[in-house]
Amino acid sequence: MARWLLARLGRAALAAWGIASLVFLLSRLLPGGPEQAAQPEAGDLSRPVAGRQSAASQALTQQALRQRLGLAEPVFYVSRVAGPPVTWRWNGLHNQYHRWAAQVLRGNLGQSYRNGQPVTTLLAHAIAYSLPLAATAAGLAVAVALGLGLYLARTPHGWLPALVRTGLAALQVTPLFLLALVVVLLFANPDALNLLPDSMLDGEPATGLPALGYWLARAALPLLSLVLAVLPSLTLPLAAALHDEAALDYATTARAKGLTVKAMLWRHALPNALLPLLTTLTELLPTLVAGTVVVEVLFTIPGSGRLLAEAAAAHDYPLVIAGVLLTAAVRLLSLVLADVLYFLADPRLRPTA
Amino acid sequence: MKPSPLPPLAQPGYWLALAWLGLVAAVGLLAPWLPLPYPAAAPDLLHIATPPAWLGAGPAHYLGTDALGRDVLAGLVVGARRLLALSLPAVGLATLLGALAGATAGFWGNRLRVPLAAATGLLAAAWWGWSLPIYFIFILLIISTLLLIIIKWRRAAARQAALTVALPLDGLVMGATTLLGAVPRLILLVALAAGTPLAPAQLLGVLALLAWPEPARLVRAQMLRVRALPFLEAARASGLPEGRIWWHHALPHACRPLWAFTPLSLGGLIGLESALAFLGIGQAPDVVSWGSMLASVRQAPAAWWVAAGPGLALLLTLLSLQQIARFLAKKMA
Repeated sequence: MARWLLARLGRAALAAWGIASLVFLLSRLLPGGPEQAAQPEAGDLSRPVAGRQSAASQALTQQALRQRLGLAEPVFYVSRVAGPPVTWRWNGLHNQYHRWAAQVLRGNLGQSYRNGQPVTTLLAHAIAYSLPLAATAAGLAVAVALGLGLYLARTPHGWLPALVRTGLAALQVTPLFLLALVVVLLFANPDALNLLPDSMLDGEPATGLPALGYWLARAALPLLSLVLAVLPSLTLPLAAALHDEAALDYATTARAKGLTVKAMLWRHALPNALLPLLTTLTELLPTLVAGTVVVEVLFTIPGSGRLLAEAAAAHDYPLVIAGVLLTAAVRLLSLVLADVLYFLADPRLRPTA
Repeated sequence: MKPSPLPPLAQPGYWLALAWLGLVAAVGLLAPWLPLPYPAAAPDLLHIATPPAWLGAGPAHYLGTDALGRDVLAGLVVGARRLLALSLPAVGLATLLGALAGATAGFWGNRLRVPLAAATGLLAAAWWGWSLPIYFIFILLIISTLLLIIIKWRRAAARQAALTVALPLDGLVMGATTLLGAVPRLILLVALAAGTPLAPAQLLGVLALLAWPEPARLVRAQMLRVRALPFLEAARASGLPEGRIWWHHALPHACRPLWAFTPLSLGGLIGLESALAFLGIGQAPDVVSWGSMLASVRQAPAAWWVAAGPGLALLLTLLSLQQIARFLAKKMA
């Protein structure tokens, strides 16, 4: 069993490495990649000297910049030299990919092109905002999904369950950015309802209990958006599974024993219906991380999602690749988590003593 | 897939969905000939964030303008056209690619054997495409010719099967889907679009690249089921060549789940593309789409009409696609 888990994790880790390598190589091979990000903008008025430089000195500056960023070396182990006689050259270990891979394996993700800060520092600061947000959203979503699923299974008929079902189905196709935008425009708009502030960073953080209230009030709308976004994919399968389980013989036996529908669902049907839900959970955490990109941009939370979006908009590749690696790591984590939960939920899978 | 003739009122959701999608398609197709008073991307600086015409002010800005003075109605029309020109071909391409890859992987598994000589020839062609040194080609050609001669001779002499190698098709396809599934699609799309603004053809290619694994997995799973059915055994017993069995008998059955899946896939891709436009990553600033219009409402939160039009259009389109997917799923079941 441990070997199976290890093989699964190994495959996922390999895929994560592959996709990060792909993004790295594409970023270096496509025209107008890294140098563009590090160059001062053409219309940047704060550097009037740059406009008056001669062409030769500009070329020198460019060369120095490439040298400093490590872009002067060949990109990969082999490179193709264009020209009428096309030749292939073996570059040995002195290439950008090898250097990058070695650095990443040592835990060094490089430095941001924009301000030269280490990527690990930037990410660590950003995760301090994103992790609590995503974790709280995951916990809330699972709790609400359990409640709603049990409710839908208990009362299959009536107008309220039908309404809930329709609402969930509509939520399922609504993209998160539209959902979050509607939430912002409805609840944090001076012209509509201004219940809650939509920005986390205006006002001063207090200490102690008021601080908790402050952060809760600030996080309410982002949390609402994230929970609503992942709720249908958790609730609808759970309700269907509960419905199926409740029609089986053991459920009838439990009811004949005198249990209420509620107790039967909770004690007998739920453990069986949970198993398919655990597979959904594997996808839940990565989806939430992807969701934080949109939500953090919209609510201006300085978390990892917004960091990734801003880095992508500014061609800041070390940060973009770090974001991809981080997301892949989250997926690895959720794979492990789902497997552990499987063992806990299903006694048949546990190794017999 | 033509739906069977139903009385129009038996499935109101389905017919309403079809009508809405038809409207979007018609508007998108006819966009260049519609008599619109203003172009989509050009700002009208005299009328910034003007409310719709029926609420008062604006001259001929029927649905108002956004914070940059761009006409909302023209933006809606251009957005519908973008849907037709970008998302629809991307889904078509991804479904085609995914169906073929999944069906091949599911039917032959890792056991498709090709003659070694053919493999060498293929390799030679690949080297030629990458323009490796000339002498390499000659070496490969000589090797493959020699192999061909040897195989012919041995076949004639010993009546043996040709020298073959197994192509790990299933491993390749599943490996590619695992690779692309390692991070959520939005993250991957953001990372791939991080360079210079993508041309429409490039964006289409990237979207198709992100979307093909799902149909591939679906068709592969179905093909594994179909492969074991008796009618395929009968086809084999009657002596049909493998390729013909695959194309004529197995593929249509393996592609059945795609009918209900493709509308959902299209909806997912439209949402993904809109999210990218909303974030403003990898887009030229003058490209107008429903996603970028929704993003512009953040500059003037009071101008609800900027968000209402594209938001409703997007939501209706996605709900319609869901309705159609549901109808097709019920029909195919």
